[in-house]
Amino acid sequence: MTRLAAVLRGIAFPLGLVVIAQIAAMVSHLQSDTLASPAAALVAGAHAFADGSILIATVQTLANAFGGLALGGSIGLLFGILLGSVVLADRLMEFSVEALRPIPSVALIPVAMLIFGFGFRMEIAIVSFASFWPVLILTRNAVANVDVALYDVARVLRLTPLARTVKIVLPAALPRIFVAFRLAAGIALTVAVTVEVSTNPLGLGYGMMLAEQSLHPELMLAYLLWIGIIGWGLNFAITNAQRRLFARSPQAVR
Amino acid sequence: MNARIGWRLASIVVGGLFILAWQFIASAHIVSPVYLPGPDRTWTALVRGFASGTLLAQLLQTVQRMLLGWLLASLVGIVVGACIGLSRPARAYLGPTLEFLRPLPASAVIPLGIAFFGLSDGMVLGVIAFGALWPTLLATVHGFAAVEPCLYEVSRVLGMSRLAVIWKIALPSSLPDILGGMRLSLTVSLILAVVGEMLASRTGLGSGILIAARTFHAPDLYAGVVLLGMLGYITAQGLFAVEARLLRWRAVR
Amino acid sequence: MDPQPLIAFDRVSMTLGGTPVLTGIDLSIDAGDFVCVVGPSGCGKTTLLRLLGGLLEPTSGEVRYAGKRIVEPRADIAVMFQDYGRALLPWRTVEGNVSLALEALGVPKEQRAARIASVLDTVGLRNKADRYPSELSGGMQQRLQIARCLAQEPKVLLMDEPFGALDAMTRQSLQDEVLSIVAVSGATVFFVTHDLEEAVYLGNRVIGLLPHPGRIASDVKVTLSRPRNQLTTREDPEFARLRRHLFDFIKDEH
Repeated sequence: MTRLAAVLRGIAFPLGLVVIAQIAAMVSHLQSDTLASPAAALVAGAHAFADGSILIATVQTLANAFGGLALGGSIGLLFGILLGSVVLADRLMEFSVEALRPIPSVALIPVAMLIFGFGFRMEIAIVSFASFWPVLILTRNAVANVDVALYDVARVLRLTPLARTVKIVLPAALPRIFVAFRLAAGIALTVAVTVEVSTNPLGLGYGMMLAEQSLHPELMLAYLLWIGIIGWGLNFAITNAQRRLFARSPQAVR
Repeated sequence: MNARIGWRLASIVVGGLFILAWQFIASAHIVSPVYLPGPDRTWTALVRGFASGTLLAQLLQTVQRMLLGWLLASLVGIVVGACIGLSRPARAYLGPTLEFLRPLPASAVIPLGIAFFGLSDGMVLGVIAFGALWPTLLATVHGFAAVEPCLYEVSRVLGMSRLAVIWKIALPSSLPDILGGMRLSLTVSLILAVVGEMLASRTGLGSGILIAARTFHAPDLYAGVVLLGMLGYITAQGLFAVEARLLRWRAVR
Repeated sequence: MDPQPLIAFDRVSMTLGGTPVLTGIDLSIDAGDFVCVVGPSGCGKTTLLRLLGGLLEPTSGEVRYAGKRIVEPRADIAVMFQDYGRALLPWRTVEGNVSLALEALGVPKEQRAARIASVLDTVGLRNKADRYPSELSGGMQQRLQIARCLAQEPKVLLMDEPFGALDAMTRQSLQDEVLSIVAVSGATVFFVTHDLEEAVYLGNRVIGLLPHPGRIASDVKVTLSRPRNQLTTREDPEFARLRRHLFDFIKDEH
């Protein structure tokens, strides 16, 4: 099937839904505090772009998401390398990791609120916690699963542990580490929006809640669609980067 | 076997050391007790909360929401996912939409839920079920779409009916994917239960810890967080055990 | 001697994806024949097997079994696939995999256990009845496939390069097992292989196909005495002659 045909098929269903919704709204002369027609949502969205409100909110959310990803991800990366390379450390930390990992990041919202109040620090703290774990676990697995043969090569070449880690282990584990960050990025965005929806008066999540509370369903839908686009776009961009960077990698990475 | 137990104990000891460190930091007021109560005060709050029945009531509410929403979502996800996964035209038309919805933060539909259902139990349950639906649905679609084609040929050669093929070949083959999706769905349902409770002020651990934070009752807050961690752990382990039993046949790597 | 052959290919041609894979195949197989089909890759020997198995319908011509046209898989024609890893159900035990054939045939539950036990005895897997395929070696998995085929009590056994992925020793022992099973059951065998020696060793008739387009170019009778023996049969001068003939025939085409 040609690419164009595939794309058309993919669009048919959602487009059809939107058209039906629009017609239904027009036919019933929709006037509601909870529902809005797709056209109204698009108009509201356009306004929100024009006056910059949605853009500011986007920047806030992304700043929180990436800030948390960077912080939690880098700590997770370091510990993941440690646990993956040093079996002793991995064994000793097993219980602690198992005990702390299942804590839902949202459970820490009140804790962060208590310590930081509202704002960027609170959200970044929670996003960091949430991003830390997938990066830790997947990096540990990636490092631990580096081909044993490569370790033999390192020994034969008499590399120091640091040189071995930097020149052999990390490059070998890199594709899977990249996947870890890709997953963590999705989690970071989700957690950021969740914090904003539930408590923090910042960003896209808060924008949605404001729209809902002020009885502007069309604006709320516009925000929802935009969040979806951001989430999809982020994933798309990272997946493409992954394909580009690791196309020739021997490890098949999905 | 003995070595395994030995290491396990060692790691528990290390965990204990961390708790001691926590106690030290709290007692020595390195961090203000307003923000970081020690394990002693947290434990006291935990015991007190259960003794008075409050924590138990909250825990049960959260568990109930979480499991109900998760089961509902899993059921719908598996049935719909199977239908989509088994039908190539359905996959062609719906696939891109599903892929677009995959990275959508589940909490983004909460305002929508509030708009429709208000701040009610029904809203929380609906949001949980909706959010928990996607991981299972997507995993089921993938599982049913990825059945080993040779097995379909085997079924043709043996003259199996369509129903028999779905029940005896497609479903067991997809089970690993489905269970993996259900595990993710469980995580999502816990998160949305907590968030939903916070927002709608329904009785539960979520609202409990939020109130504790707002009233600066840090020990109660930490007790609730510990409880939520344990809830996450126990439910995840439970599902792991079920998975291990159902998927005994997998090659040990 | 039957007035009509058990299996007849009547001017069969097969075009797949626009490419002619087989042309003008005329072939008769009598009951009790052990026919081996050899040829270089692309000659269509697997396609021939799949036509006989009812998995494909010829573009022109007819494939007949006992005088009737084959339009779909038949219960008395059993098919054994090359890639045993993909043809077995990994989530069912050895017993469960054999049971699948009986379930499909509608054999009542009470009768299944006895038939499964007998068939597992024949292939020597009785003591592994509750193991999973992942716990079996390649040779055992292939014997499990044989067991599943035998459970159908087939008149015809189609085997698509069944021993290609096995080591030489396992291959030889399975060759002898197949010969003894067939000697007892009297089934007609259609055996596709790329191994010329295997074809001569097993069959009483060897069909050679040549590609571009796929056609029968050689049809020799193998008059070596039965039962065959891995040592003495292979030292028989007739064996060497047949092997040379097939080798030349394949080489000529290149």
